[in-house]
Amino acid sequence: MNYQSEDLKNALAAEYVLGTLRGPARQRFQKLMMQFPLISDATQTWEQHLNGLGQKIPPVTPDIVVWQRIEDQLGFVAQPTKTNVVAITKSKPRIWQSIAGLASAAAIVLAVLLFSFQPPLQPEVQQLALMSNEQADLLWALEIGADTISVQATKKLIAKSDADYELWIVAVDGRPPISLGLLPKVGKLVLSKPQLFDQIEIAALAVSLEPLGGSPNGSPTTVLYTSELVIL
Amino acid sequence: MEHEQHLALLGASAQGDKQAFSKLYHATSKQLYAVCLKMLSSKELAEEALQEAYVRIWHNASEYRTGKGTVLTWMVSIVRYRALDILRYHKIRKEDELVENESFDLDTSEKISDSEQLLLDKCLQQLDLQQRQAIYLAYFNGCSHQEVVKHLNNPLGTIKSWIRRGLMSLQSCLTP
Repeated sequence: MNYQSEDLKNALAAEYVLGTLRGPARQRFQKLMMQFPLISDATQTWEQHLNGLGQKIPPVTPDIVVWQRIEDQLGFVAQPTKTNVVAITKSKPRIWQSIAGLASAAAIVLAVLLFSFQPPLQPEVQQLALMSNEQADLLWALEIGADTISVQATKKLIAKSDADYELWIVAVDGRPPISLGLLPKVGKLVLSKPQLFDQIEIAALAVSLEPLGGSPNGSPTTVLYTSELVIL
Repeated sequence: MEHEQHLALLGASAQGDKQAFSKLYHATSKQLYAVCLKMLSSKELAEEALQEAYVRIWHNASEYRTGKGTVLTWMVSIVRYRALDILRYHKIRKEDELVENESFDLDTSEKISDSEQLLLDKCLQQLDLQQRQAIYLAYFNGCSHQEVVKHLNNPLGTIKSWIRRGLMSLQSCLTP
């Protein structure tokens, strides 16, 4: 059958969008859309034609739980931007504390391993932070020196190409997180260390997921990982 | 106006802006929910369809193309496909619970400024009543050909032909 014939293509696309193309025919059509751009074009045209109809039904407000479930499913809830700053204003935010608690236990183990198996750190390294994911894979190792923060991305890091990762100071005093710059996706990068770093009490360092180029508004978009500092 | 707002929010969502996505949800979910509730006739299943649709919209926000309908039309497509999948998965029969006449209390009061909607209204009115009824049953209620047969008490061949001819008339009316 010549699926590219104009009329057939059109008729199938129309009934696919309408929903009357069912069963195996529907599945075959979905494969055809992938194979033939003209067929998927025709389908999109029919979506445009018919789905204006959907706007003719009087709107119905869904239950509030639906949005909560969507937020849960997309992982918005664990690190909501809105409550981020608020949470930190409390003296010991629970969320940071619990994550940081786990992370610090892992950090100490990893720090020991790192020191046992790697060449000695440069003498000026004062503090260490290790950013790990939920599976405890080490993604970035950070060495904090007198004036610099040297960051090494590990092979475990599978970086998104359409996003950047930004490093933040989370201060104990509850001020908004302070950006330290973008993290490397591969290899090593040396960031400059602001003077403030030694002047405030730091609860943790945090990594956020950001659009390319970093946070658009100066505060973390999606906090992914945190780590307490290990003082050497 | 509405489309431009949706487009800005969708664009920001594609960049990972959760607040924009929340605004987009709150601006559009009433319409999408109405669509899937009508098709699925079940609060639980409609909520499932709505949730899956918005998760998909978040992940595929960058795939929307201007020129292929408004953002809302694109989103309605997504939620309808989810609802059709759920209809099929749960093997829901749309035979008993439907109202027998063409009682679609269509909302024509609002959005009248939208030229696409105006044209669609005009073209729908040009269809034969039977063609329009058959298309409405399939579109709004998610009826299969067989289910439309039960509602309109005509043979399968006739129903298929009404739908096919109705769709083709609609297309020639809608295509510039």
